[in-house]
Amino acid sequence: MKSVLKIALGIIAALGGFLDIGDIVFTTQAGALYRYDLLWAVVLGTVGIAVYAEMCGRVAAVTGRPVFDVIRMRMGFGLGLVSLLASTFVNVLTVAAELGGLAIILQLLFDAEFSLFVVLAAIGLVVVVALLPFGGIERVFGCCGLMMLVFLATAIHQGPDWGEVAHGFVPSFSDSKLYLYFVVGVFAAALMPYEVHFYSSGAVEEGWDESNLRENRLNATVGYALGGILACTLIVVSGYLFHPIGVDPTDLGTAALPAQGAFGETGLLLALGGIMFCVGGAAIDSSFAASYNLAQFLGWEWGRYRGPRKAPRFTASWLLFLFLAMLIVLSGINPVEITEYSVVLAVVALPLTYFPILMIAGDRSFMGKHANGKISKALGWIYFAVIIILSITAIPLLLMTNGGGG
Amino acid sequence: MRGEGEILVVHRLLDEQILDSEGKRCGRVDDIEFRGSPPRVAALLVGEGLYPRRLPQWLRGPARKLAGPERWGANVLRVPWEEVDRIGSALHLRGKAEELGLGEGDDPERWMVRRLPWN
Repeated sequence: MKSVLKIALGIIAALGGFLDIGDIVFTTQAGALYRYDLLWAVVLGTVGIAVYAEMCGRVAAVTGRPVFDVIRMRMGFGLGLVSLLASTFVNVLTVAAELGGLAIILQLLFDAEFSLFVVLAAIGLVVVVALLPFGGIERVFGCCGLMMLVFLATAIHQGPDWGEVAHGFVPSFSDSKLYLYFVVGVFAAALMPYEVHFYSSGAVEEGWDESNLRENRLNATVGYALGGILACTLIVVSGYLFHPIGVDPTDLGTAALPAQGAFGETGLLLALGGIMFCVGGAAIDSSFAASYNLAQFLGWEWGRYRGPRKAPRFTASWLLFLFLAMLIVLSGINPVEITEYSVVLAVVALPLTYFPILMIAGDRSFMGKHANGKISKALGWIYFAVIIILSITAIPLLLMTNGGGG
Repeated sequence: MRGEGEILVVHRLLDEQILDSEGKRCGRVDDIEFRGSPPRVAALLVGEGLYPRRLPQWLRGPARKLAGPERWGANVLRVPWEEVDRIGSALHLRGKAEELGLGEGDDPERWMVRRLPWN
């Protein structure tokens, strides 16, 4: 019984770790612009993150090595440093986006100055991290993030033409650059690199070994699949409500409106609460990812489980990254805009972390009998090809569509 | 031919995480010192001062200016090969990090502000 609960909590944490401001912004806008047409891109991205996270979790459980340990080992100092700098830049931008999102939600709930909430949100995250142990942080945010299920209830309540919804799962392409930009955005939002940096370091934090491989498989498949379903419902509810009336949901609060339409004020509060915990959890995950990467690359002591006294450089760098992100948001750039840049730039940096993991997960000298099997190997290489194509097209599409502005 | 006691030095040793006898993470193998003929691993080198020479040639000059020995002092530590206990999922040392001067950046004493009035 206890192990069932533990596995369920792990799955919920994975689910919570999946949805973040990038998914919410891109899926809501994709629904408003293209109705259900981009549902297939969510599925593509979800399978991608499941494949990648399962590999990272397996490598961490079998060899005790998180992502940037592997990167330094396989790519050496020079290329590894490039990967570190790119990942850190993208991760800090992501922290800024999540922090800004958190402040927007707080502002909607308690009307006051935006910049005040940015500072309060950052302080709140420091307090939460100081008070809760590692597993507690993941589970609290994961469980509270379940409020996002209100979007699933909203989709059922709206009763869209399910045949039309099903049609959205068939990949379709158009020569519209904006459509292609959203394909990249929806896919990349599901495959944010900080998620695997955090996931694999979390496996080490929780002391995983080979006995946790089943848990790893379940988290990566069931947890991320549920996350993917929620991301799909965000497209469905937005497509149903906003597409016919031509609303362009450019701010985060609009994403919660479909729930209000279906269930009144309770729906709205659940939706805002769900978004708040998803975004807040992601702010912690992405800021931790930035300092995990730095500490692992340089060989410093790291981990929430070590505590600030035993890992002072790790803790200090975490505070520094959070502070930098806070400055970015306070500079006045729209958090939704920061989100779009962080997601698109993330897909450019992605091959640099994906490739070394693919290499080591298939290396029998490190992984023994747990090295990639035929299916993992095939999926791993297929996704590597997809990621390469998307990372080449991401920046031109961002520029040509003026950041999704058309 | 691979004889007994030989390992793939670049594959398994260079850039490896170093742990001391208590499992404390205390740096990475930033370079390796060889001696003798045929060359044998004499020591592991650890420290920020080695970073510039790990970069491509055209970046070494600027990197030395940023992080070279003139700036950060003698920031290279030598860990004699005899100190290495075993290589598993990391490189384990026989002794404690402090005895070799490793991992000093994570020394809590350094991070404590002792001069504050309430200390």
